[in-house]
Amino acid sequence: MKKEKKNQIVMTVIIGVVCVVFFAVMFMQFKTVEETDITAIENMRETELRTAISEWKGKYDDTQKKLEANRKSVKEYQETIAKNGEASELVDKDLAESNMLLGKTDVVGEGVVVTLSNTPECSVTYAHLLELVNELRYAGAEAISINDARILTTTEITQVESRMQAGGQRIASPYVIKAIGNQTYLSSTLSLKDSGFIDRYKASELDITLEKGNNIKILKYNGDLKVKYMEEVEK
Amino acid sequence: MKKKQIAITLGIMCFVLTMCIAIQIRTVTNSNSTASQSFIDNGLRDEVLRWKEKYDNAYQELLASEKQLTQIREQATQNNTTANAKQEQIKKNNMLLGTVEVKGAGLEITLADNNAAGKGLIDPSGVLVHYNDLLQVVNALNNAGAEAISINGQRVITTTAITCEGNVIKVNGEKVSSPFAIKAIGSQGLLLGSMTMAGGYLDEIDDWVIVNVKTVDDIIIEKYNGIISYKYVKSK
Repeated sequence: MKKEKKNQIVMTVIIGVVCVVFFAVMFMQFKTVEETDITAIENMRETELRTAISEWKGKYDDTQKKLEANRKSVKEYQETIAKNGEASELVDKDLAESNMLLGKTDVVGEGVVVTLSNTPECSVTYAHLLELVNELRYAGAEAISINDARILTTTEITQVESRMQAGGQRIASPYVIKAIGNQTYLSSTLSLKDSGFIDRYKASELDITLEKGNNIKILKYNGDLKVKYMEEVEK
Repeated sequence: MKKKQIAITLGIMCFVLTMCIAIQIRTVTNSNSTASQSFIDNGLRDEVLRWKEKYDNAYQELLASEKQLTQIREQATQNNTTANAKQEQIKKNNMLLGTVEVKGAGLEITLADNNAAGKGLIDPSGVLVHYNDLLQVVNALNNAGAEAISINGQRVITTTAITCEGNVIKVNGEKVSSPFAIKAIGSQGLLLGSMTMAGGYLDEIDDWVIVNVKTVDDIIIEKYNGIISYKYVKSK
């Protein structure tokens, strides 16, 4: 009888100890799992990191390309100076390139053509055009024109009652906005569901059409770009 | 009989606990692979930094080479009047393109979120400066003949987009936040007159956000912090 009782106590103690050990192990495990949840969140950033890498890489490649071009030009100039030759050809080339970047030349390329027109319910305002130009720039447009008025850095779009102007040039409905850039990127940005320009303003009953083109021609800026108030800071 | 019952109960308990532990161990084994994932992440982070550094170095070199190119162009054209005029034109173009730092007389506009007025409001978005406000102000400045504009140090150039992602405003892809300092070089009289005009855009938003306009005689506007290179545009 006594022996049996002793056995029972030993059994209970052993079982108790085993239970405690089990629970301890379980809690430890729970803790580990909680911690790994944090690393799971960090995990989500992997794609972000990869995009960041490709962005910097792209920027680096562009810079490197420009750097090589610059070095080549410097070398060409040096050679001309050494030979006492004429630098005008080189300057002409540089000036042409610079004028192209500025918008003083006619350009062609792939891109999109957006047509906005007034409807009886809703008229196009300057704010619509500002938004659209901004969105095209966001999508990487390299050259933009509205009804053949080239849109540059300093081009304003104004409206006095129903009279609209872009860079001092009179424009009227239908507004044909041409943009040169990556076709797919331009069109998909504008047609993003809900947040894209087309979805946002189709709802307010503007008439919008979007066309892609492989050979869009954009005319040069039709004015004189004056520098009167600013001067370069030479360092 | 009673002993048997106890044994069965204990058996079931043991079984359940073992199952629990087995499941846990499996989860942890899985998460071990996520732990190694975070090693990959650290590797990626390092790589981002490496590429950024590489870019920064290349960009510094590019700046030096731009300067060298401008100098040598000047040197090569100094004996030829027409070539020299073209060289001057390139320098002027660079100012207009935004690839060089410029200075001059102009206007400084500060737009800031009106946090004090927004405190009691359920939806404070009415007293915040939105990307659209910046777009409108830039357009109004252009209308007043501004030659160069920057927002919080970001030069506004032909390809500049002012966007809003969530509650972050970006100019040239860089984050900017309130207070927004908008600098413009141009005719001070014209700029000031049209920006402070009754019924003008700033006059309209003055009731909601903090607007401050002042003329400054010697404004420096930063150069565009990147390179302008076109991939799709071709000359005819």
